[in-house]
Amino acid sequence: MNLFMPSFYSFVATLAFSVLFNIKGKNVWLSAFGGGLSWFFYIFSLEFNISEPLAFFYASVAVAIYSEIMARVRKCPVTIFIICGILPLVPGGGMYYTMLASVEGNVTKSLNTGLSTLTIAGAVAVGVILVSSLTRLITFYYNKKK
Amino acid sequence: MDINKLVHLTSFAGEIMLENGAETYRVEETMERMCNAYGVQKVDSFVTPTGIIISITDIDGKIYSKVTRIKHRKVDLDRVSKLNDLSRQICNENIPLNIFEDYLITIKNGHEYEPNLVIFSSGISAGFFTLLFGGDFKDFFISMLIGFTIQVLSRTLNKIGTNSFFINAIGGAATSFIALASTSLHIGNNTDKIVIGSLMLLVPGLTITNAVRDTIAGDLVAGTSRIIEAFLIAIAIAVGSGLVFSFWISYFGGGSI
Repeated sequence: MNLFMPSFYSFVATLAFSVLFNIKGKNVWLSAFGGGLSWFFYIFSLEFNISEPLAFFYASVAVAIYSEIMARVRKCPVTIFIICGILPLVPGGGMYYTMLASVEGNVTKSLNTGLSTLTIAGAVAVGVILVSSLTRLITFYYNKKK
Repeated sequence: MDINKLVHLTSFAGEIMLENGAETYRVEETMERMCNAYGVQKVDSFVTPTGIIISITDIDGKIYSKVTRIKHRKVDLDRVSKLNDLSRQICNENIPLNIFEDYLITIKNGHEYEPNLVIFSSGISAGFFTLLFGGDFKDFFISMLIGFTIQVLSRTLNKIGTNSFFINAIGGAATSFIALASTSLHIGNNTDKIVIGSLMLLVPGLTITNAVRDTIAGDLVAGTSRIIEAFLIAIAIAVGSGLVFSFWISYFGGGSI
């Protein structure tokens, strides 16, 4: 599977999105890079024959680690990078197919896709939670040492 | 030390942060840090997505408090980042209160990108998301058109003061209509890819992220209300696009989807 073209698309889409969020200066490029990175990790983990939610989880962990590092380096709120980074991972496709199935009157299919969409959203959220809780622990010990 | 003015300025700072998409725990922390930097030790603040309550006790035991109601929320991460810098600066240097006020006003009147650039980039964003989810180049151009439409629509409706759920429903409906019309006229190829890519503009990514971060920071009220908000926005989008889809299927048949 081609890894780089989709990551590039994701990069450009996030770059344009950071203008909508009114991010300025160097942060525009850094947050867009996070968007590319998240999709790269998603496709890359799918190569190893793992389930879809797990791939989303790995991608969100990767992007959360990147964002925490960048927030320390650039001395600005971590949300700037996280929000842009996880944008491509938001399960818009799952939401669409759930809506379509319920419009067609196919209850079983819509519940099925709806549940898997929620699982993916949960996996992304758990990835972000994990990394930011670990960061809190690390900063706590770092401050204590000082 | 004019504590009355300090209360006004810190809650003003909190207001700017909360209106522009900061997490509630960040707002609470920033306000408390600002007060501590001016030598006030007893500060308590309670922030929810719709309001700020701050109360300061001075050395004599006198209590100063203020309630600020937040009615409009939008996303402007540049202001959040600048206020973060300002709070860092206040903690490190000794800035007089009137200069602090000037800084806050400068941040509030901060520069935004030109409307045309914003409309253009929402088109680009929708187009590239469509490519990312597997659309081809015909779909790319349709999505760009939808991106322009969504941005123009939501800017106009925002000016009139419509609530965000209605804006999202209208956005979802417009997206589905253009996508369905384009595929039935054979200009676009994949309705699903066009709709998914374009709806990324409306999907509440910021609200979900803030909900998660608020919940783990222990702000349960703010966390749950933001989760509900994200759900309602998602439902609004689904209702808007679902309505158009069901009308389309009942009048033109589902063959083109």
